[in-house]
Amino acid sequence: MKQLRLANSIIKMMIKDRIQYPARLIVDTFGIIARCGVLLILYRYVFRYQGGLIQGVTFQIVAWSMFLYFSFMTLRLRDLAKSIMQDIKTGTVEILLSKPIHYLNYRMWWQVGAGMYPFFVATFLGVVALFLTVGIPESMQSWFFVGTFFITFFFAGILSLLIYSAVGLLAFWIEDVKPLYWIVDKSVMILGGSYLPVALFPETMYKIAIFSPFGASQFITSTVYNTWKIDYLKLMGIQLFWIIVVGFIVVYIFNRAYKKVSVNGG
Amino acid sequence: MGDRDIMKKEINFALYAIKKNIQSSAELRASFLMNMFGMILNNLGFIILWVFFAKIAGNIGGWTANDVIGMLGFSSLAYGVVFSFGSGLRNLPDYIASGVFDRFMLSPKNLIVRIATASFDTSAVGDIVFGFVCIVVYLFLISATLLQVLLSLLFVFLSSFLFLAVTISIVSVGFFFSDASPVTQSLFELFITPSLFHGGAFQGGLRIFFTFIIPSLVVGTLPIEAIRDVSIEKAIMVGFLGMVWFVFSLGLFGKAVKKYESSNFMSFGV
Repeated sequence: MKQLRLANSIIKMMIKDRIQYPARLIVDTFGIIARCGVLLILYRYVFRYQGGLIQGVTFQIVAWSMFLYFSFMTLRLRDLAKSIMQDIKTGTVEILLSKPIHYLNYRMWWQVGAGMYPFFVATFLGVVALFLTVGIPESMQSWFFVGTFFITFFFAGILSLLIYSAVGLLAFWIEDVKPLYWIVDKSVMILGGSYLPVALFPETMYKIAIFSPFGASQFITSTVYNTWKIDYLKLMGIQLFWIIVVGFIVVYIFNRAYKKVSVNGG
Repeated sequence: MGDRDIMKKEINFALYAIKKNIQSSAELRASFLMNMFGMILNNLGFIILWVFFAKIAGNIGGWTANDVIGMLGFSSLAYGVVFSFGSGLRNLPDYIASGVFDRFMLSPKNLIVRIATASFDTSAVGDIVFGFVCIVVYLFLISATLLQVLLSLLFVFLSSFLFLAVTISIVSVGFFFSDASPVTQSLFELFITPSLFHGGAFQGGLRIFFTFIIPSLVVGTLPIEAIRDVSIEKAIMVGFLGMVWFVFSLGLFGKAVKKYESSNFMSFGV
């Protein structure tokens, strides 16, 4: 209960902050236009060029799948790694560790709160734009989709937070974790179905995407495909598996790091 | 002192500042190497994506997977050249917001050179290496003639020159806003993103827009098409657009600097 109250206050505070200073919103809206918008125009051309169907998938499905990836990215959960790295580099982690709240909980809720406002605004605008331009695919017009989408979204959020926490915490041992962050982030981008939708992956790459934690953290992009009704239990199971594994890794790294830190005060 | 002497002094200063920046970054050798190789691996991600895309979508606009490799080479190289040696330009909005820009104003050196060489980005060296390797691989894959090799060398210069000009224009916008970092970041995103996309898929109005309004395609896409088709017209067009953007960027920068008002922060700089 105490944890929920803490989460609630941090998220509320961050949303108020973001509404007051809408700079992030500008960046995210432009980002989604620049990346997703241009990409969708390109894909529309490619699909038209190929007769409207590539590997049995329509442009409408691909458009929603890619949009879900970019919309999820506006939550900026990946910035968690940078925040943790910054705390460690500047020494702020010393202060935060001596507070009566768990450091990782605080940082995760902070990150969720910071991304919520831009996420809702950019997603709302994107959904309206896609609805008006390409319409909603049949696979998304059911309560089954709505229910399973929210569960997958929730799991994707937790898994992303855990993956990026693990990367950030390595800053206790490595001088600069940025290169590691780039590699993990690019793996998420490739296997998550950003520029190339999962349905268009070659078979081997599809298998890697399905069974790796990087692909699993973006399974929301798979929810729009017709195969989702068959695969959803397997995919959610994989997400849960990775949440447990990466969760254990994060707890282990954090405990090791906690022993390593000496809070000097003053 | 003549114009030529002044220019020579400015170039000498820029080279000296770059040398010192490199020496200082190389001191942290492990970090330097990790940043460089991390960026190379990071860029490889784009190659994987677009090569798969080219295989699935087939030949679009006359583009093959080889062309995508070359295009990413030019884009990365231009990005790397500008942001390794002139990384300070990217920090300009922060310099303005924090009042650090005062220090640059007081410097007797050329303002743009002084700002650009104020910092050095080690990861951008990875972009240079990656870009160079991609271009060499591309020339090998297309069995390039001597003329194509010479054209490639010319385009390395031209696309970096245009990239620099557009970057100066974008960061100059920073003088017109109180918290300019998000605005310049957004504009830069709008410029850089299409330069990393499959060039063959840009057709019609989209191609015109990203060539003449936002010159993203001039960085990588047009050079590749000019080399592949040995098109001197396209080479002239890239050079012309680079010149236009350079003149425009200097004009905009000059006007923008006049908008600057010192933040009067109590800080000292060296």
